[in-house]
Amino acid sequence: MTAASPTLDESTVEVSAAERKALRAARIRGASLAVLGLFALQLSINSLDTPAVFTFWIDKQGGSAATISTTVGLLWIITGLVTGLTGIVQLVRGPSFAWRRMLLVILPLWIIATLATLLVDKPANMTGVLAGTLTLAAPISLGAFAGIISERSGMANIAIEGKFLIGACVASVAASTAMLVGGEGANPTVAVLIGIVSAAIAGALVSLLLAWLGIRWKVDQIIAGIVVNIGALGITNFLYLRVLQSNTQFNTPPTIESIKFPVLSELPVIGPILFSSGPYLYFTLIVMVAFAYMLYRTRWGLRLRASGEKPSAAGTVGIDVIKIRYRAMLIAGLLAGIAGSSLSLASAGSFQMNMSAGRGFIALAAVIFGAWNPIYAFGAAMVFGFADSAQALLSILGVDVPPQLLNSLPYITTIIVVAGVVGRVRGPAAAGQPYDQG
Amino acid sequence: MTRIGSTLKPALIPILAVITAFIVGSIFILITDFENLAKLGTDPAGALAGAVGTIGNAYYAMLVGALGDPARIAAALADPTPKALASAVRPITETLVSATPLIFCGLAVAISFRSGVFNIGVEGQFVLGAFGAAVAAIAVKDLLPAPLILLVGALFGVLTGALWGFIPGLLKAKTGAHEVITTIMLNYVAAEIIVFGLRSEFLRQEGSGQPISKNLAAFVRMPQILELPAIRLHWGFVVALLMAVVVSWFLFKTTKGYELRAAGFNLHAARYAGMSASGSIILAMTLSGALAGLGGSMEVMGTVSQMSGNISSGYGFNAIALALLAGNRPAGIVAAALLFGALRTGGALMQVKTGIPLDLLFFIQALVIMFVAAPGLVRVLYRFDRTRMPGGDKTATEGGAA
Repeated sequence: MTAASPTLDESTVEVSAAERKALRAARIRGASLAVLGLFALQLSINSLDTPAVFTFWIDKQGGSAATISTTVGLLWIITGLVTGLTGIVQLVRGPSFAWRRMLLVILPLWIIATLATLLVDKPANMTGVLAGTLTLAAPISLGAFAGIISERSGMANIAIEGKFLIGACVASVAASTAMLVGGEGANPTVAVLIGIVSAAIAGALVSLLLAWLGIRWKVDQIIAGIVVNIGALGITNFLYLRVLQSNTQFNTPPTIESIKFPVLSELPVIGPILFSSGPYLYFTLIVMVAFAYMLYRTRWGLRLRASGEKPSAAGTVGIDVIKIRYRAMLIAGLLAGIAGSSLSLASAGSFQMNMSAGRGFIALAAVIFGAWNPIYAFGAAMVFGFADSAQALLSILGVDVPPQLLNSLPYITTIIVVAGVVGRVRGPAAAGQPYDQG
Repeated sequence: MTRIGSTLKPALIPILAVITAFIVGSIFILITDFENLAKLGTDPAGALAGAVGTIGNAYYAMLVGALGDPARIAAALADPTPKALASAVRPITETLVSATPLIFCGLAVAISFRSGVFNIGVEGQFVLGAFGAAVAAIAVKDLLPAPLILLVGALFGVLTGALWGFIPGLLKAKTGAHEVITTIMLNYVAAEIIVFGLRSEFLRQEGSGQPISKNLAAFVRMPQILELPAIRLHWGFVVALLMAVVVSWFLFKTTKGYELRAAGFNLHAARYAGMSASGSIILAMTLSGALAGLGGSMEVMGTVSQMSGNISSGYGFNAIALALLAGNRPAGIVAAALLFGALRTGGALMQVKTGIPLDLLFFIQALVIMFVAAPGLVRVLYRFDRTRMPGGDKTATEGGAA
């Protein structure tokens, strides 16, 4: 089946054409950044004296609070200058400029300034929003890592959503069952661990099915992904309605306590945000660092990337592409399953129908927005997590921003990014294409 | 085997795929039937009988729900009052009502697959088409007579659906943005647009806190085929059949259709032969979106009469399974849509009668796609001889492999 790979083959496009495209994209990017910078400066004019007050809990929710006071105008001036200067540098330096790193500064500046503008005269505490951002970013990042590892090996992976659902369902059932079997003396921590491990195994099995369909039976990998997504939704809904709804004892897992690091969680302001979170956040950060290191600094990572970029060449030098792809999909399944378990064990406290609610596709968006790089993908997941978290705050405070606008943010940014209007990101060249050995 | 194999060849894999998927589905029904499983230790024969009974009841309820209750049909024949007639024909007409959006969406998917683009966005194009039709119909409701409102609504449904297909088509052709990613994202954006739009006073039903539109039936309605109480079958079904003929004619009898299929078979060869590759991609996506949009407008003006966020219940996703099952042939799509429509309506009765959730059908559909897409797997399962099956690996997917 070739239906999934009707991409215009980029290898046939001449290099000079690609260079021209890159130059044009750089110009558009530079000019838009410069214009945005001017726009931010313009915004600052009317708000020079408007106070902007951000408060943070120092030690714990409801305790004493620290306050950062500034003016909205000042925030916009900083934002405008940084954005505008980046735009000018981009225009001067052309395509070679590492603009993506600057985004990591510019985006937060815009977010802070916008938030300050929206929150004028509203008493808002930022601790919850920031802690929420990290909590929401964790499963999205793990899903994104799953996407990155499989795509880097050459397997298209649009089935993160399905694996989230399976993971969430299995985790809740396994943890609840462990509690039932353990009876009175059951240890909730052990039960939760059993839930997480079961979810990881379930995710891995689904992922291996996906790999098996794609590799052994040459099923188009996009179609295999659709099979998993539709099938996962169908089977988890079926199990929920037929079994879990009336037997709630199988769907009441023990909740996961947040981990308070000694000393670190006592740190003022940062402690409550960063060091009192759930275990998933720490797991995500560890995986991110390990994965980034392994992907770019080890032989395994080189082989993985080779399998995804030019499998025929990798095969020629003796790399077992098939084995690498199966292993990558196995790890991807473990990660996505664990991410799924956080939905039912950490957030909701039980499994609900379709509880992933598109987060798997937001993870896919983070893969692309993060240019198939684990650290950028985590950054992207934070942006999306923040949009989600800030939306809750804004609606509580009664600020009239249509939630649909914030909800669409991940999807629209992804479309802009894949379209390459502001700078092309390119995925692994062979992702989604079957590999013929021999 | 050889003879049967060659006469039934195009249909063999799909039929076996459906049968296998149902067998797997039955296994899931059984292993979640705890009362019956508990009997297994004490009364194995009873448990076996119970298992057969459970499956039999479920699938019989599905059949009755999809086609009609023999008792009611007999009653209607004996005493043809409108009420008796209606209750006799209601199941089969509901099957056709469910099949209508599936035909539109299936054709939309098939046109894109045939052209080598992978439109996963049919769901979004369908709901946005319905939304466009509802907005247009409400906008002109006091200005025009009903038949013209219907036309305006359908036109706007087609246009919004086409726009939602054109955007990823254009992005694909001009920037190479993969249509699978952009259409998945656009599905979500479409859903957000609809919820946002339904907040407005202009669209929302008076006095309702829910995001649900004014009732369109008050001023526009697709004409009914049968004037019987509680029968919803409307001329949209006939429009869907017409579209199947049109799509078939377009793909196989026109130059543009030939170009689309050529692009689907081999983009490079098509380009080398002087055809515009980007033009084919944009055209295919736009037509695909237009068909889905027309389906959406028929749904909102014919079947449900009220726009809401859950107007689709997954027709656009079902359509992917359906198009693959039908090998992207328009006639096959009509047949597969009737089958899926029957499953949906029958599944609803199964859910009421036996408590087996309708969602099982989504799982079964996923299995159907899997088996159709992996014909080799089906062959191994049923152990037929590879060498005696002409066509090798490509039997079921040669249409889909466009």
